[in-house]
Amino acid sequence: MKKKPIPLVAVFATALTLAACSTPTTAPTDSPEPKDTFVVAPQYATESLDPHGANSGGIGTTHPSMMIYSRLIAPDENGQMRPDLAESWEPNESGTQYTFHLRQDAVFSDGTPVTSAEVVASLERLVELQGPASGNFAGTTIEAPDQYTVILKKDGLILLGQVALLFVTKADVTEESFTKPVGSGPFVVKELLPSESLTLVPNETYYGAVPKIGEVNFRWIPEISTRLTALQTGEIDATWGIPDDQVAALTGNDELRVEQVDTTLVVTMWFNHKRPAFQDAAVRNAIWQAIDFDSIIATLFPESGTPSLSNISPNVFGYSANQAKKYDPAAARAALEASGFDFGQTLQIQYKEPEYTQFLAAMASDLAEIGVTLEPVQKEAATWLEDFNGFNWDINFQQIGTAAYDAAQNTGRLYPCAADRNGYCNPDLDALLADAAGTADQSRRAELYAEAGAIVWDEAIGMFPMLVRTTYAWNANAKGFVPDPLLQPNLAPVSFG
Amino acid sequence: MRFPGNTGKAVQRGTPRTATRVFKKWTVAVPGMIVAIYLLVALFGPVIAPYDPVATNLTDRLLCPGCETSSGSIAWLGTDATGRDMFGQIVAGTRTSVLIGSLTVSLCALVGLIIGLPAGYFGGLADLALSRVIDILIAFPSIVLAIVVAGLFPRGLGVVVVALSLSGWVSFARLSRSATMSTKEREWVAAARVMGVPARSVLVRHVLPFLAGPMVALIALEFGLIILGEAGLSFLGIGLPASTVSWGQSIASGKEYLATAWWISAFPGIALALLVIMVGLLGDQLNSRYQRGGSR
Repeated sequence: MKKKPIPLVAVFATALTLAACSTPTTAPTDSPEPKDTFVVAPQYATESLDPHGANSGGIGTTHPSMMIYSRLIAPDENGQMRPDLAESWEPNESGTQYTFHLRQDAVFSDGTPVTSAEVVASLERLVELQGPASGNFAGTTIEAPDQYTVILKKDGLILLGQVALLFVTKADVTEESFTKPVGSGPFVVKELLPSESLTLVPNETYYGAVPKIGEVNFRWIPEISTRLTALQTGEIDATWGIPDDQVAALTGNDELRVEQVDTTLVVTMWFNHKRPAFQDAAVRNAIWQAIDFDSIIATLFPESGTPSLSNISPNVFGYSANQAKKYDPAAARAALEASGFDFGQTLQIQYKEPEYTQFLAAMASDLAEIGVTLEPVQKEAATWLEDFNGFNWDINFQQIGTAAYDAAQNTGRLYPCAADRNGYCNPDLDALLADAAGTADQSRRAELYAEAGAIVWDEAIGMFPMLVRTTYAWNANAKGFVPDPLLQPNLAPVSFG
Repeated sequence: MRFPGNTGKAVQRGTPRTATRVFKKWTVAVPGMIVAIYLLVALFGPVIAPYDPVATNLTDRLLCPGCETSSGSIAWLGTDATGRDMFGQIVAGTRTSVLIGSLTVSLCALVGLIIGLPAGYFGGLADLALSRVIDILIAFPSIVLAIVVAGLFPRGLGVVVVALSLSGWVSFARLSRSATMSTKEREWVAAARVMGVPARSVLVRHVLPFLAGPMVALIALEFGLIILGEAGLSFLGIGLPASTVSWGQSIASGKEYLATAWWISAFPGIALALLVIMVGLLGDQLNSRYQRGGSR
């Protein structure tokens, strides 16, 4: 009898099972030279290095931008403003006008000097492109009385935290300039592969301390398990946004340092107010009420999540706690029935963070109990942004932070009618926000933002269930790495040895 | 025709022959039985172990196999990271896999027959063109084609079936073409032609029945590969939507827990591997039987 070969399918089956049980990472090679590349795997992919365009609000763009471009001023580890391009600055009495004196030794990486003309052009470009970050400078005018002086003016209070979000590029940039951008920050771009990797090398013409590390590499690894394996094998040196379930496996490793920090991030799930289904605040509140967020947070994020009582976090100016939404599925169902909600429709919630897959599955489960179908759809960062900007979603999932530690940068930027981030428009809220933006008196501003925050919360423009702490883990041999509450650690001081 | 080895000599050495026979019998019977169990589970399993892919139960998350759940029942194969029962998940996944496998293989066989049968019977330019198309598609890695197509459209059962069929029909077309070419030379086909039977009737009544055997063998072989392909797509997150249970998705959802909760990936992996291997063995047996039958 002819001998039968082993069926090919059997080989395939075994291979697939084995492949499922292993993680495709390459082992670190023992190189004789000392390690001189710091590799980070951040949570958010970098699509573009244009700090003024459609990506300007995303951490994937702002984080590398902080390494590549200069800003007038920048926050230090304690949130205090330190000089960057501006050597000194002084406000007028009411805080509605600031004069910045630029340093004269700053040059772009191509050798041309950085002057007030570039600062003006950058601000004008940011406002003109109307990207998400442009709201930080709504109503702000800029003047350049001489080559090294810039004056910012506004009707209301100018917030230095927002000023620190202006990245200075060359004056004549176009979208094409950002494949190999020219900046005056501590690093220059060696290579950008969108959504894959970004390689930075020290900028030898930088006016500050030139980084000692040979190369900084941003590598985007979407799978958390792969990211953590890469960290343990030494393929990457730092990552953050680690789910609580996985932290235990890392703390036993002496080669790694693990630390948790409070962030300003709040889990934000906006309803698409352009959809007829979400026109009614009763419907939005009912959906929120139908989900047992307290239990979900306690089981899935016991360490890194806390129930939130506002759309901004308590460490942000203008915060005020609102009344918690009580979990009551029966009342939610009744409210939906009363407002004629169509139970036959499927609501799609779009997200990009893999660590929230279980969170969203639990939400879908709770909503299914009252007959509402929620379908979580995970999207790749670029597609997510495109769909988000095109309002091609029912509910949208994000973690929104407040980099300037002031409600003006969150509530004030995202919720006016003109911002049109989620389709919600309320003249009362608009009036409050305009009032707050035009006021220099801090206590009055705090009151106004608290009032505005109450509308955002009570009207359920979105659901804001959770405050986020984030877990960082990094190579214990690296010096100078400091976890950052805004998920954007400064990599310029990092070095080995 | 008898095989040269199966002559009087073998009869004299009775014991080895009996042993070989018993072994051969079992190599057919065991895979057949196991595949039949899978089919029964696919048909009736969800009735016995109902499973809701949307419902989560966070208090029971990551329970080990044999642990007691909060409701007092036993999670025999453990629970996953959102507290869903792994046993129910595997049973529901069986139905999905068998359904996708059956649908895809039927579509592939149908398309393959429709194209291969006339091509083999009539020959000519169409046959030549078809053969080249088949050559090209065989050279192209089928899973890559499936990934591209499945990635382009929103996730859904229909998309997965079409994506996997795109290259799956080729082997059926090739088989039916070659089988038709050899069958059409037979006397009964020639006789039918001479009697003026229309070509369509000749194909359906005098050629098609002789393709059944080899087709069944190929269906079994392809069935396993298609189930594997579906699990691969779902593992990558471009297969079935999250609301449909799939072994590939279950395996993927356990990736992060391999060190702490191995059962999430392991049990669906074993279920998948066992089915694919058994279907493969069965297909192999059928294949050798019908190839011999075809040359008789």
